[in-house]
Amino acid sequence: MNDKSLSRRSILRGAAATAVALPFGVALASCASSGGGSEEPTDDATTDGGDTENDPTKNPFGVEEGSSIEAVIFDGGYGTDYVSFAGGIVDKNLGTTTEVKATQKVAQELQPRFVSGDVPDLIDNSGADSIGWNDIRDRLETLDDVLEANNLEGKPIKDSLFSGAKDPGTFDGKFVALNYVLTVYGVWYSGSLFEENGWDAPATWDDALALGAKAKEQGKYLFTWGKEAATYYLTLAVDGAVREGGDKVRLALENLEPDSWSQPEIQTVFTKMKECVDKGYFMPGGAGTQFTAAQAQWSKDQDAILYPSGSWIENEMKDATAPDFQMRAVPDLSLTANPGGLGLRAEAGEPFCVPSQADNIAGGKEVLRTMLSKEAAVNFAKEKKAPTIVLDTVPEDGFGSTALQSQGKMLADANNSFFTIKFINLYGMNTDQLVYMNSFLSGDKSVEELTSDLQGLTDKTREDDSIEKVKIS
Amino acid sequence: MTDNIRTSAAEAPVVPRRRSRRDFSFDSISFFLVFLGVPLAVFLFLVIWPFIQAAYYSLTDWNGLTASMNFIGLDNFERLLNDDLFMKALGNSVLLLAVVPTLILIIALTFATLITVGGASKGQIRGLKGSSFYRVVSFFPYTIPGVAIGLLWQLVLLPNGGLVNSLLVELGFDGFAGFAWLGDKTTAMPVSIFVIMWGLIGFYMLLFIAAIKDVPAETYEAARLDGAGRFRTAISITIPLIRENVQTAWIYLGIFALDAFAYMSVLNSTGGPEYSTLVITQYLYRVAFNDFKFGYASAIGVFLAVITLLFAALVFSVNYLTGGGNRKAKR
Repeated sequence: MNDKSLSRRSILRGAAATAVALPFGVALASCASSGGGSEEPTDDATTDGGDTENDPTKNPFGVEEGSSIEAVIFDGGYGTDYVSFAGGIVDKNLGTTTEVKATQKVAQELQPRFVSGDVPDLIDNSGADSIGWNDIRDRLETLDDVLEANNLEGKPIKDSLFSGAKDPGTFDGKFVALNYVLTVYGVWYSGSLFEENGWDAPATWDDALALGAKAKEQGKYLFTWGKEAATYYLTLAVDGAVREGGDKVRLALENLEPDSWSQPEIQTVFTKMKECVDKGYFMPGGAGTQFTAAQAQWSKDQDAILYPSGSWIENEMKDATAPDFQMRAVPDLSLTANPGGLGLRAEAGEPFCVPSQADNIAGGKEVLRTMLSKEAAVNFAKEKKAPTIVLDTVPEDGFGSTALQSQGKMLADANNSFFTIKFINLYGMNTDQLVYMNSFLSGDKSVEELTSDLQGLTDKTREDDSIEKVKIS
Repeated sequence: MTDNIRTSAAEAPVVPRRRSRRDFSFDSISFFLVFLGVPLAVFLFLVIWPFIQAAYYSLTDWNGLTASMNFIGLDNFERLLNDDLFMKALGNSVLLLAVVPTLILIIALTFATLITVGGASKGQIRGLKGSSFYRVVSFFPYTIPGVAIGLLWQLVLLPNGGLVNSLLVELGFDGFAGFAWLGDKTTAMPVSIFVIMWGLIGFYMLLFIAAIKDVPAETYEAARLDGAGRFRTAISITIPLIRENVQTAWIYLGIFALDAFAYMSVLNSTGGPEYSTLVITQYLYRVAFNDFKFGYASAIGVFLAVITLLFAALVFSVNYLTGGGNRKAKR
């Protein structure tokens, strides 16, 4: 009852104030904090749940029977139905009511709710409009107890996960975000097209340059890009350099060191990329093309033959992929055939978190615990053609997906030498980097200019006292 | 007049006193409450209060996610002046402010004149042949929301396979294959301005048509008898007689140009090549919802409000100084 009037009030307040404030350009913010401090004391979420079952594995967080759970989930490449699936299991087991709300603008939708304290019990803080972790990490529950708990099958969850699962959601030693989907980064291509032309998938930048010349003969381009996703090529460059130079290269970037972009590995990759630009191996016009349209130039029209991306690409482009495309991938291009650095960028994505102010913290955690069960994880892998951080849920045939098969192969080949790159999202650098990369890929920027732009951004972030730094190791 | 005399004659013997300001009846109080008090309260609560709030937030380091904030004085404004990106956005917004209203007004006025009084120079004063058709057609773009217009033009201007480049290549201009109109820093801004104009001209044309129709046809006939041509008529008759409308349109367009958020964020959500189309409102949004610096974003909002007010003041005073005030006094 109380909850209802509270949220209705805050919606009205927000809507009215925004409607008035927006046209005047003033006060985008004005709606938010006027009635602040309406933090209702929560008397549910106690730990005496599980009356019906004495088995602690059934309800380890003590979700109150019949309580309601609200989840706000980013509606991106993976949709939201996999959370509803897990929610359905929780509802069946504990008689709860789980409501899953889809949104593409996580930050905009949740910002006023964070101010008023009326937060959902579970959030998938993902997508271009996610909330920066630096801004909310102090207000989230630690999720160590979720990994300590047993899964629905009665086995400890922590023993069933990918080894780096905790890493991307841990900030200054505090594990606050559970990244659910295992994302592998690489360069994607059409197995059938390559077979038809007798091409081999490139492993190094020199392979790619040679391939570019061959593609030109067929009237095709090597790469294509879209204006909102130009930084995929920065990812390609950084990952390749880390595969070559290892932790030395990675940590200099992650910890915003001076001259970190001038490291030789990065410079060489940039030079090779610039060679591709100058030789016309990039399809022109990317800086004016919407990114999904650009991706379709690769997956549907096949005007370009390679595309660097994460493993969400198959699901994202499933309605715009040529028949019999046979999507496959190789790790991000290195400089030498046997790079001496780290093996593969594989990191868990789709970060789920439980705000400390939530009414039903136990409920939020219970949905997470259920998502980590075998049943829910297999459902996800099968529906979304992507692995979760739960191991051994993808069969050898990858549910018939060549992309999933080649992810499995890349993960196996990497021999547990995985890495992640955090600093770009942590400090919100992507928006600026996009602008630099669009110019670079259009041919308007030299390697030196790109380096000084990127370094300038790094330096500015390091020296800005208002930005809290996180030490990354 | 006659009405007044009759009522006062009838009432005079009964109420032989002057109406005073202290005469509060239930009627007048309830009237004031309902027709003045309620709108005023709504206005204070929904307009003035957010303004005051925003002004206060601009003096804090509020991050937009907590209810707590620290008062930091004018730091945000000092930061604004040293912020390259803000300066870039400010420059772009000022460019829009200078170019968009001027071009739209000139074109809309020209079209409005042609449609109302630009027709045959003999017989009745009328517009061009088929003017009612043009009037309806040119209003079409205004009925489409800005966001849709942005998306539409984004597709039309697609480098590969877009309508414009396909046509140009078909005509033999092979250099335009793959040319990114919105992705090249020399063309992104002019093209964006064109799209905005495409969307708005119809409405202002209609506004001016309505204003011109208000001018008595005799005035035009007299001008014609005196031997004024179409251009002379437009400059010496039409524009002076509808100057109030032009001033209003100018202020509206100026405020729109300072905003331009819908068009710019759809055409180039990332701020365009080398930030060539980044405008203040886009930067404000980015600072608020990407960087979570709501205090700083509020400072940008306050700055924008000040520019808007200065602009309005400028238009009013230019209008006054060029004789806009006199005409009314003489009438």
